[in-house]
Amino acid sequence: MKNRRVVITGLGAISGLGINAEYFWNALKAGRTAIKTLDLPIENIKMSLGALVPNFDEKKYFTVDELSILDRYSQLAVIAAREAVNDAGLIGNSSILQDAAAIIGSGCGGKHTDEATYDQLYKQKRKRAHPLTIPKGMPSAAASSVSMHLGIKGPAFVLASACASGSHAIIQGMMMIQSGVIDVAIVGASDAPFTYGLLKSWDALRVVSNDTCRPFCADRSGLVLGEGAGILVLESETHAMKRGARIYAEMVGCGMTSDAGHITRPDISGITRAIEKALHHAGFSPNDVDYINAHGTGTIINDATETEAINRVFCHHAKNLAVTSTKAMHGHALGASSALELVATTLALHHGIIPPTVNFTVADEVCDLDYVPNEARVKNINAAISNSFAFGGLNAVIAIKKYN
Amino acid sequence: MIIEKVTEIIVNIAHCKAEDVKPEKELSALGLTSLDTITMLFELEEAFDIDIPNELIPSIVTVGDILEKLEGVKQPA
Repeated sequence: MKNRRVVITGLGAISGLGINAEYFWNALKAGRTAIKTLDLPIENIKMSLGALVPNFDEKKYFTVDELSILDRYSQLAVIAAREAVNDAGLIGNSSILQDAAAIIGSGCGGKHTDEATYDQLYKQKRKRAHPLTIPKGMPSAAASSVSMHLGIKGPAFVLASACASGSHAIIQGMMMIQSGVIDVAIVGASDAPFTYGLLKSWDALRVVSNDTCRPFCADRSGLVLGEGAGILVLESETHAMKRGARIYAEMVGCGMTSDAGHITRPDISGITRAIEKALHHAGFSPNDVDYINAHGTGTIINDATETEAINRVFCHHAKNLAVTSTKAMHGHALGASSALELVATTLALHHGIIPPTVNFTVADEVCDLDYVPNEARVKNINAAISNSFAFGGLNAVIAIKKYN
Repeated sequence: MIIEKVTEIIVNIAHCKAEDVKPEKELSALGLTSLDTITMLFELEEAFDIDIPNELIPSIVTVGDILEKLEGVKQPA
């Protein structure tokens, strides 16, 4: 039962690029960005841009009763999970789902709920909190919601590692399948950070751009926040083959490290080690890798450090790699970004199309790789990695390859 | 007025018919779960500007029990 092969059989994505994975992929291929001027009923914030789910009407997806206990981040998780499970052909398959896992990452959890209650208590001086504040806003709410809505009765929990939350959740699912604990895992992440308190807090960090997100460019000016959820269905190869499932890709390895250094500044050693460990775990030599979906936040220090790490690990092969940041299209959806990016990486490998780094102007002299500027590229991809390097020095890299 | 407000709160939470909300009716029979009941108590506290102590909760079984507890409170805003 040990070291079983793990394959990806279902994908779901809701983001600024649209309400499902098809919209997501079509936008990525077209190089279309979801970053727009913020039009929120929130005053007194410096942040002017964001990538919100367009025309999102939660009542199309949930009843009033269901919404009473669903924070926005749980709503997004359930919508993407439902899509992924449906894509895998498992909707309503209670005999399989009852033993599946639901492992959902989140960078910030149910902040809409928490902040609404705090506003009522602190600002409006209301005497009492709404009794559903705890079950709706608790950090684990998304896993519970996915479990309840899809009938998943195996292990379910939320995992937090800031912007790497999705990658860590996906890796956890992969390892549980590899070790024989489960056969099927619904994994990914969800975040909905457009709340007054979070926007003010991100303003305060001075890492947010007010013109746009331009990863790896000389004139890059920071990240732009997004929201959304990316969910994948992982299965043991045996399980997927037995039921004749379509297989997008094989998940072959991971690298996880911690910087043990600074709370926000990325560390070249921690990042380099994470990439090296992922290659080693996957059984890849550096030359095997065709595509890297970069962390690529668009901040000065991240993009330079990530580029240097890629150069160190891949040496002469670094110049042959296609390295793109899809954050310039779906925004930085915090923990959800890493899951959305593995969905993007999987679809890139599946279709043989590399989504571009959009908003690209002129490369920074310290960013000297092929970032596939502005236009998607047709390229056969046999192996790819997806990088996630979170605040707090929590690094996770996932390696996938074509299934054969 | 009090019965009307209580009925409105229960109907909104339980999605039952207003004519079914009668003093002798048990809250569970109207479809209220334990979490719904907690939500109802919150709405009652808000509407009547009162505090309902936890100790009273076990004795609130029927709609009439609520009305009894609300006797003497001011009319809802």
